[in-house]
Formats: sequence, structure tokens, C-alpha cells
Amino acid sequence: MSAEIEFDSSWQDDFLERIDDDGPWGDWQLFKLAIEVEKHLVIPEFEGLQAPKHLPNLTPLPHQLETAKQVIENMNGKAILADEVGLGKTIEAGLILKEYMIRGLVKKVLILVPASLVTQWGQELNSKFFIPAITQKKSYVWEQCDVVVSSIDTAKRNPHRDIIYQQDYDLIIIDEAHKLKNNKTKNYEFVQNLKKKFCLLLTATPIQNRVEEIFNLVSLLKPGHLGSETAFYEKYKRDSRSLNDNEHLKELVNKVMIRNRRADTGIEWTKRQVETIPIEFSPSERELYEDICGLKNEGDWLETSAFSVMTLQREACSSREAVFYTLKNMLQRKENPSQAFQQQIEYLIKKVEAVQQNSKAEKALELIKNINDKVIIFTEYRATQLYLQWYLKQNGISSVPFRGGFKRGKKDWMRELFQKHAQVLIATEAGGEGINLQFCHHIINFDLPWNPMRLEQRIGRIHRLGQEHDVIIYNFAIKNTVEEHILKLLYEKIDLFERVIGELDDILTKLEFGNIEDHLIDIFGASSSEGEMRIKMENLSSMIEFAESMQKGDSHAAAGNS
Amino acid sequence: MQQQEIHNFLLQYFKANDCPIIENKPGYLTVQLTIALDKELMNRPFYWHYLEKTGGTPNPMKLTLITNQKEAPDNLKGEIIHFGSPRLHQIFASSKNLAKYIRLYENHQHGHQQTPLLPWLCLNVKISYQCDRKRDEFKSIGLQLINGAMVEDFHDRLLNIPLTPKIPDYSFTLSPLVRPRSGIARIENYVKSEIMKEDHTWAEEAKQRWQKDLQLLDHFYEDIEEENESYETEKKALQDQYEPKINISFINGGLFYLTDRAI
Repeated sequence: MSAEIEFDSSWQDDFLERIDDDGPWGDWQLFKLAIEVEKHLVIPEFEGLQAPKHLPNLTPLPHQLETAKQVIENMNGKAILADEVGLGKTIEAGLILKEYMIRGLVKKVLILVPASLVTQWGQELNSKFFIPAITQKKSYVWEQCDVVVSSIDTAKRNPHRDIIYQQDYDLIIIDEAHKLKNNKTKNYEFVQNLKKKFCLLLTATPIQNRVEEIFNLVSLLKPGHLGSETAFYEKYKRDSRSLNDNEHLKELVNKVMIRNRRADTGIEWTKRQVETIPIEFSPSERELYEDICGLKNEGDWLETSAFSVMTLQREACSSREAVFYTLKNMLQRKENPSQAFQQQIEYLIKKVEAVQQNSKAEKALELIKNINDKVIIFTEYRATQLYLQWYLKQNGISSVPFRGGFKRGKKDWMRELFQKHAQVLIATEAGGEGINLQFCHHIINFDLPWNPMRLEQRIGRIHRLGQEHDVIIYNFAIKNTVEEHILKLLYEKIDLFERVIGELDDILTKLEFGNIEDHLIDIFGASSSEGEMRIKMENLSSMIEFAESMQKGDSHAAAGNS
Repeated sequence: MQQQEIHNFLLQYFKANDCPIIENKPGYLTVQLTIALDKELMNRPFYWHYLEKTGGTPNPMKLTLITNQKEAPDNLKGEIIHFGSPRLHQIFASSKNLAKYIRLYENHQHGHQQTPLLPWLCLNVKISYQCDRKRDEFKSIGLQLINGAMVEDFHDRLLNIPLTPKIPDYSFTLSPLVRPRSGIARIENYVKSEIMKEDHTWAEEAKQRWQKDLQLLDHFYEDIEEENESYETEKKALQDQYEPKINISFINGGLFYLTDRAI
């Protein structure tokens, strides 16, 4: 016999006592009801999902049900859920959690998510899954509540850390797990030392990254699945991207990872409409911009500073406030500024002061009034964010700011305010992650991020499951500036806005071209001139074209047409 | 469980607990809770504590449960009940809790004839087969405490017999030869031996999965020489995850005094 048999004898004494005392005895109706209940609650099969019949208000999509089944039946409850953004990883995790709870395999659960998502997770588990999840607020919660949602930054700090380590968790769920790709961090160490009976790691970024990152993530989930550290790195170079050329490694990873793609789900997605809005500078704005461009040729004063001309150029396309803020910083940070440097800056500051309007803001205002619905404005710069808030208020439009640095409660509050009261949400880059705003379907990209991958994250906030309308994206670009060129390149060369990044990544990785994010960061972050940028971009786009044609060739070959 | 079954279940539960049914219409149910049931279900210990201290008039709540939103009136305020709702599971738990132990007599119609009633011990148990997955089985076993006869599906057989909590007139009970304590032990042994006869491939497979993961784990930590805490943690986690176990848990049970032809 290969399994222990436990016979629960705790009721026996009670029963014998009642025989001696001649009662008290229960009611026959209730006795029968209890049996009837038990017969309904008994789960006669190891396989299959019970959760859906407990969740009448939730209609999981086929790929979500399939994922839950896979994780429980074939992955033994330890998996990386790596669906593309917006396919409902939370639902999948909720289904798995619910299934384990119904079957009585899981009672104590720890859910670690970004601070901005704590409340949302708590609410969804309660309302969609009837799981009494508690969001962590007091330190006694760890011990007294069975299902706790917390941010990892809170959890890893004492006194919480010590209390958490004493708990016996059955299931640990970690959202945005790609943040744990570095095994030298405190967060990594914290998670590594947690006892993980069942464990789900959720991540949206494709695991086609560095082999090292894959190793770290998988080792967190299932140590040894990819071998020991030394053995692993003997086989695969640390920074190589050879995941895709190595079928064996890929197969291993796929044993612990599920990645659904939009294209495979068969769901009809609402469309993305992209509209580029060209804007003319006012004369004074143009003058400022030209003066900044002129800096390039004037001596070496910029080389020693940490700011590039390109930064200033892009800022000039956003707002005079953004330029001013950077200029002020340049002046303050420079030790013993030369007179020429000081004069140069002061000259530019004068130019900034000469600017009296913001053509983009005017356009934005007009657009917002026309749309007459909720709008999200994304900008890269804090100064622009503040300005826009002020400007919209002057014109009778209510707006709320949103930044990554906001505390959890404030983020929730701002989201709520936006949903219920304000027409506009103005977010800086860091605000793009970890907040779902499906109730809105207009985005204005007031300026462009350095890393264009972030555009996908911006759009992903609203173009996800639950979005009922086509999503309209307005890209602002000032005519005849670096901005317009960047946009043209992104838009015309690689169709960035309408495609989902995952697709591009797939195309590139198949041919070992690396991943698109690195290419884009290099092109837009490291190029010193527009010319360089353009050339690099053309290279990238021809690479993509080539890869695509190869892919088509492949499928032809597979179909036997060759 | 279908919505109609849930409705009937709730109705029976409240009736069995002596709660006046105020309304029982298609799609919903309104009941006046008794004090005992208010305490059992409504989770307001402070109210009851306060009331007992001040000696006020107890005012147990009314509860409206909507079992079918389509049939219930639109503006009706109440809790929507479905198979997954926490309230239903609370009531499930309560119904199990309120009648764990029972003693009943067969309400036979033998008139003035003196009738002997034989003692039966009944145990209703749930057997759970657990590794990283789980399945359950319900068993109802009856043991006659005089001749030691063992009967399966005992509960279903009882459903066809009229039963009463008071011993009927002109009846007498026979004293058990098997004491209840050893009766329980007999049933335990019987259930265990039945389990042993089953196919336990599931447990073998779980052990194989466990071994496999354990080997991976050892391999992962073989470079690290000193005692490693996370290694021990992971090892324990694998045991918790995979170790096959069979739990026999008690649902309810009791003594039944039945005529000799009843079973």
C-alpha cells in the first residue's frame, strides 16, 4: 500500500459521551440535509474543473479554462502564466486558486502583486470568484486571514517578512513576476525562501529574453528544472538568446510555462485605430526648438553634461515647462560652469520664457472637447503633466494625475476619481503599468516614450479583455521635428501601433535577431543624431521584412508547395 | 446542484430549524430567523452580547434569499444564492454542524404487539484521496451491534424507513453485544480494508512525480556545499505537494434502533 490512511477519530469521544449522557441528539431532517449536501460537494474525479459551476457570473474563455486545466493536471500546480497582455491572466490564476480551494487542497494563500494592483486583485477575487481575499493593511492579517493580497515591497520588509516565513502557505501567486528575473535582488531572495507547494508566476513580457532571466525565473518556480546554475551556464551562454535555437531548452521551459497569444484565442478583439495628428509650432515655439537644434554644432559643452541635445529637442516638442526644468537642472548640476555655458543656458531660458502658448495643449483641448468622453493623456515628463493639469483646469476640464510613484491607496483613488468624476487622466510613463482602465477607449500620446515598447503597455491598459469599443489612439507630432520623424519611423516602418509587440517579437526571435525592445532602445535611446536613428530604423525594418518573408516561405514549405 | 434544488434545500433547512417561512415564491424565499439561527448565520456577536447584557428584546433578522433572479421581482432586495455563493456554503456547513450525532427509532406499525428493536451503528464518512490532486468518495456504513453484520449504503436504506426520536409504544431495545467503541473500530478496519483492495496507481504516479522533482532539487543544490535553508524548505514543499494520503473524515452518524426486517 503506497499511501497513508488517516482515520479522523476526533468525533468518536464526543459520540460516546452522548451515548452515556443520552443526548443531546440532532434532528433527522438536518441529518439528512447534511448528507445531501455532502453528496453534492463530493468530487469523485481527480480530473476536470469544478470551479466553473461555482462561478455563475463568470464566463471564462476557452483558453482560460484550458490553461487552468493544464496547470492543475499536467503541471502539478506550478506554472508560469505568460499570456500576452490583456488575455486575462488574473482570471486564469483565479480559476486555479478557486479549483484548489474547492477541492480542499489549498487553504492558505499569499498573493504578491504590484502595489497599484493590490486593491484590484482583492476586489476581483471577492466579486468574481467569491474568494474572501483580504488586502494586507495590518501585520496581524498574515496570521489571521487565509487569503492575503499584498505588495512584494511590503511583504519583504520586517516585521512582515518574519511573520510570513512562519506561515505555511499552500499557494503563492506572484503577478508581474518578470521583475524577479535578477537573482541578486532582495525581492528574488525573499520569494526564493518562501515555501512554494503550489505556485503561479504571472508575467506579460515574453520569456524570450536572456537565457539568464529564464533560468532565474524557472529556478524560482521549480529549482533544478533547468539544472544547477553551473551546469546550466556550461551549456548556455549567460547572455545568449539561444532559447529559440535550442529546442531542448525550449521544450523544458514549455513544461512549466503557458503562453496564450491573441491570435490563437479566436476572440474577436476590438480594433485599434491610430490617428497621427500633425501640429504646427507657434513661431516662438519654433524659435526655441531651432535654437536647441543649433546647440549641436556649438562646441563641446554638451558632451560633458549628462543631457543630450536629443533630450532637449524632444522636451521642446512636449512643453516649455519640460525644457525649463531640464535647463535648470543642467545649470545646477554643473560644477564651475563656464561663462559660455551659463550664457548659453540663460539664453535658452529666455527663449523658453518667450513661449506663450503650447500648441499641443491647445490641440489636446480641442480634441478632448470633441471626444466628449473619457480620455487618457500620456506624457513622458512630470513638468508637462503638471502644466496640462493646470491648463485643462483653466479651460473647465476636470483631470486627475497618475504617476508610478503614487502609493497604492492614491492610485486606487485616482482611478476611481477618473472613472466616476474626471474626464481626463494624465499619466506619466511610470503610471502606465499595472492599472486597468477598460472603461476608457481614447488615448492621446502627447509625446513619445524613449522606449517605444512602452507604447504597447500604454495601449494595453485599455485595449484588453473587457474593452467593448474600438480603441482610438491619437499620436501628437510636431511637424518638422525629431518627433515627427520618430513617429513616422515607428508607424510606417514597423506598424508599431496596430500590431501587438508580441507578434514582432515572434518574428524576430525566430531568426535570432534579438528582441524588439532592445533594438528600439538602442535606436531611440543611443542614437546621437537623427540620421543615425533613421539608418538604424531602416535596418530594423528590413530585418522584420526579411523575417516575415522567411516565415511565409516556411509555411509554404510546410504546406508542401515547394 | 440546480437552482431549484438549492431552493428546496434552503426551505428544508429553515423549516428543520423552526424558522417561520414568510414568503416562498418561485425564485425567492423570505424567512424569519430564530434567535439561534441568527446567531449561527448572521455573524453579529456584538449585537447579541449587547442584548444579553442590557436585557433588551431580541430582534432576530429576516433573511431574503433569491434563488432565481429571472423569476424574482425586479426590485426585491435580498441575497442572490447560487452554488458558489459564500452564504450557501455557510448554510451547508451549518447543516452539517447542527446534526452530527443522532439516535432514532423505527416508527413501526406493529400495534400492541411487543416489538424488539435491534441496535445499528451508522457512520457516514468522506474518503479523500489526496496528492497534488484530490478526489472524494462518500460512504455510509451500518453495523448491527448484535450479530456484527456490516451494510453499505446504509443511509439510503434508512430513507425508506419511518423514524422517530422517541421510542414507539410497545417496543423495547435489545442491548448491543458489540460496544459502540469497538463498533467504530470495526467500521474503521472494514473501510480501510476496502480501500486497500482498490487500484492505487494514482498514488504510485504521485510518488514518481515527487521523486522526479526531488532529484531535480538535489541536482540544483548539489553545487552549494553548506547547509541550505531554502533547500529544506523546498524539500518540505515537495512533500506537502505530492505525498499521497487518504483521509477518512466523519460527516455524521448515530444509533438507529430498527425492527429485524427493516434492513
